[in-house]
Amino acid sequence: METSLTFDKAFSELEKLVEEIEDENIQLDTLAAKVKIANELIKYCEVNLRIITADIEREKLNS
Amino acid sequence: MPLAQKLSELINEIDATIYNRFANKTFWIRAEITDVKKYKDKRWCFLKFIEKDGNAITSEIKGVFWSNTYHHVENFERETQQIFASGLEITCNVRIRFHKRFGLDLEVMAIDFAYAVGQLEIERKQTLDRLVKETPGLQLLSNGCFSTVNNRLELPTVLQKIALITAPNSDGQRDFKEVIEKNKYGYAFAVKEFLTQVQGDAAAFLIVQQLANIKSANEVFDAVVIVRGGGSDTDFKSFNTFELSNYVATFTIPVLTGIGHDRNTSIVDLVARQHKTPTEVATFIIDKNLSFEQDMMQLKERIFSGVKNLVDTAQKKLAYNIRIIKSSSPKTILNKGFAIIMHDNKILTDPAMIDVNSQVQVILKDEILHSTINKKEPNGNKLDF
Repeated sequence: METSLTFDKAFSELEKLVEEIEDENIQLDTLAAKVKIANELIKYCEVNLRIITADIEREKLNS
Repeated sequence: MPLAQKLSELINEIDATIYNRFANKTFWIRAEITDVKKYKDKRWCFLKFIEKDGNAITSEIKGVFWSNTYHHVENFERETQQIFASGLEITCNVRIRFHKRFGLDLEVMAIDFAYAVGQLEIERKQTLDRLVKETPGLQLLSNGCFSTVNNRLELPTVLQKIALITAPNSDGQRDFKEVIEKNKYGYAFAVKEFLTQVQGDAAAFLIVQQLANIKSANEVFDAVVIVRGGGSDTDFKSFNTFELSNYVATFTIPVLTGIGHDRNTSIVDLVARQHKTPTEVATFIIDKNLSFEQDMMQLKERIFSGVKNLVDTAQKKLAYNIRIIKSSSPKTILNKGFAIIMHDNKILTDPAMIDVNSQVQVILKDEILHSTINKKEPNGNKLDF
C-alpha cells in the first residue's frame, strides 16, 4: 500500500475499482487482486477514521 | 445644651418627606451606569447612576434591580447583544426609595433598550458596508449571505484535526468536546485548544491573535472551530467587529462557528460557516465523517455484488459448456444406441476406406462386436432422422 494515501485518494481508487468490477469485460483472473486492493483501501479508511496517524499529517504537509 | 432628637425621629421625618413627594411616582432618566454588580442566583443587580462633566462626576446615586425587575437586565442583554455593564448609557424608568438604614436609591422598574438596539443596528450596517468595500474576495449575495475566501474553501472529506477557539472552562468548550469525544462511531479527533476570552472589549483582538497562532502552528488543521457558551452572557460585540470579521473572511483554513445564538447571526457567522451551537458544530463534524464512511461502505457493497455477479455469470457459462460437452461426448451417443465402427484402430468415418471382407470392430455401449464386412451398398436414406 502506498504511504501517501489519503481518505480522498483511497476513495477515488475504490471508485475506480468499482467501475472496473462492474464492467462485464473484466479479466476474471485480475478479480482476486482487485478485491484484495479494495479490501486494503477500505481497511485503511476504517482504521484511520479511528486513529489519528502521523502519516496523515506528514502527507498533508507534503501536498 | 441644644435639644437633641433621636436619629430615628429625624430619619422618620426624611422618610415621610420623601414619601409624600415621591410615593407612587416613577421617572424616566437617561444616565451612565457604573459599579454594576449582578447576583444571578438571587436575581439582584446593584449599580450606580452617574452623570459627568468631562471626567468629573457631577451627579451620582445608587440604583437597584430586585428579582421582580431583574428580567429587564436579561432582556436588555438579549436584545442588544451586549452585557449590562459599567460604561453603558441607558434610559430607564425609576422610582425613588428611602430606607432608614441603607439610604436613598433608585429602584429600576424598566429599561428602554430601543435606543441601544438602534445604535447597534447602525454599527452593524457600517461594519457590513466596510467589509464589502475593503475585504478581498468578499461578495454580498442576493440572498443577503456573504461569499468569502473562507467559506468558499472546500472542507476536507474527513475532519479530524481541529483547532478550537474557546474561553477556558466555558459551556461551549465543554459541550463541543463532550460530543466530539463521546461520538458513538469511535472516530478519532485531535482537538487542540486555543484559549481566549470571547467577550469583552479585548475579545476581538485576542481571537484574531489566536487565529494567527493557528496559521503559524506547525500542525496542519482540517478546520478551525470557534465556540462560546449560551447562558445569559450575550455579549456578541466582538463577533460583529470589522477586525475579526475581516480576518475570518480571508482566513485560509475553514472556520466553523458555534457561538450560540438562536435568533441573531453575528457578522463572523456570515463570513464563515455558521452552526447555531457548539453541540451542532460537533455533530456536523461527526456526521461529515460518518457520511464519508457510509459512502465508502456503499462502494464496498458494489464491489461485493459486482464480484458475485461476475462469479455467477462465469458459473452459468461453465455449466452451459459442460452440458454441451456432455451431450456431444461418445458415451452419451453410445447410450442412445449409436455405434462406433473401428478399422485398423481408427474410427471409421469414410466407408470408402474399407472393402468387403475387411475386419471391423463395432463398439456398442457395453460390448464390441468383431465383424467381417459381407456386403456394401449406398444408404439411400433408409433411416430418416
